Amino acid sequence: MPASLLIPHRTPMRLVDTLLSVHEGGGVTESVLPPTSMMADGEGRLDEVTFMEMIAQSYAAFKGYMGLVEGKPAGEGFLVGVRRLEITGRAYAGDRLLTSIRTGASFGGFAVVEGGVTRGDETIASGIIKLWLAEDGR
Amino acid sequence: MNALRRGIRASAAGDIARTGKETVVRRYRFAPGFIGFSGHFPGNPILPAIVQVCAVVSLAEEEGGKALRLAAVRSAKFLSPIRPDEEVSIRYRRRVDSGEDICDATLSVAGKTSAAFQLRFAEEEIPG
Repeated sequence: MPASLLIPHRTPMRLVDTLLSVHEGGGVTESVLPPTSMMADGEGRLDEVTFMEMIAQSYAAFKGYMGLVEGKPAGEGFLVGVRRLEITGRAYAGDRLLTSIRTGASFGGFAVVEGGVTRGDETIASGIIKLWLAEDGR
Repeated sequence: MNALRRGIRASAAGDIARTGKETVVRRYRFAPGFIGFSGHFPGNPILPAIVQVCAVVSLAEEEGGKALRLAAVRSAKFLSPIRPDEEVSIRYRRRVDSGEDICDATLSVAGKTSAAFQLRFAEEEIPG
């Protein structure tokens, strides 16, 4: 399902294209950023901070999907914390990047999420983030 | 340099300054048309957390005069939203801890801390 239907982020800050699959407590998204992305330099290399946002937006897409199933609109979400996000690889515009997320814990509008970004067989970033999502569709 | 980093550098509202021996400080003002607000969110612009991190990396590169690779975000707390046209003070201190290049950074608005994080830099390139 297109992420644009699930999250309020819009181009150029929407960094996730598609929610590919959903499983209990998590899911997988796909991103292919164009060379014109504000995150890509003249050689097409993506800024390392991109991967942190991909994890956050992937969780938002997962929650958006779950909300859609329940008839709720996509709400805004905010990255409120990060723990041990390691960036061990690089990626370029045009690369197919898959982001896997799993809900570690959630309480109220807060969630602790484990996530990883892969390029082919290589994990290029992984870590734990904390998000707050508006639950009233704002 | 990507468009986001160009936009961040263009948003600097003062020169790079030092307080004490190791702390670097610079003020920024992100205008409503700043690219980092685009799409985040329509009708409710908030400076994305990754832009805040990117601004620190960009400032450290500018101050140090060489490219850095963000190798890790060891920890981060984003405490309050930053809106367009607010004056943001970015402050960081770099230190070596067990051979690692660590950067402790804060962003503040009107004297109140809006974000604090600890980054790890690497100068080496990743092969491939």
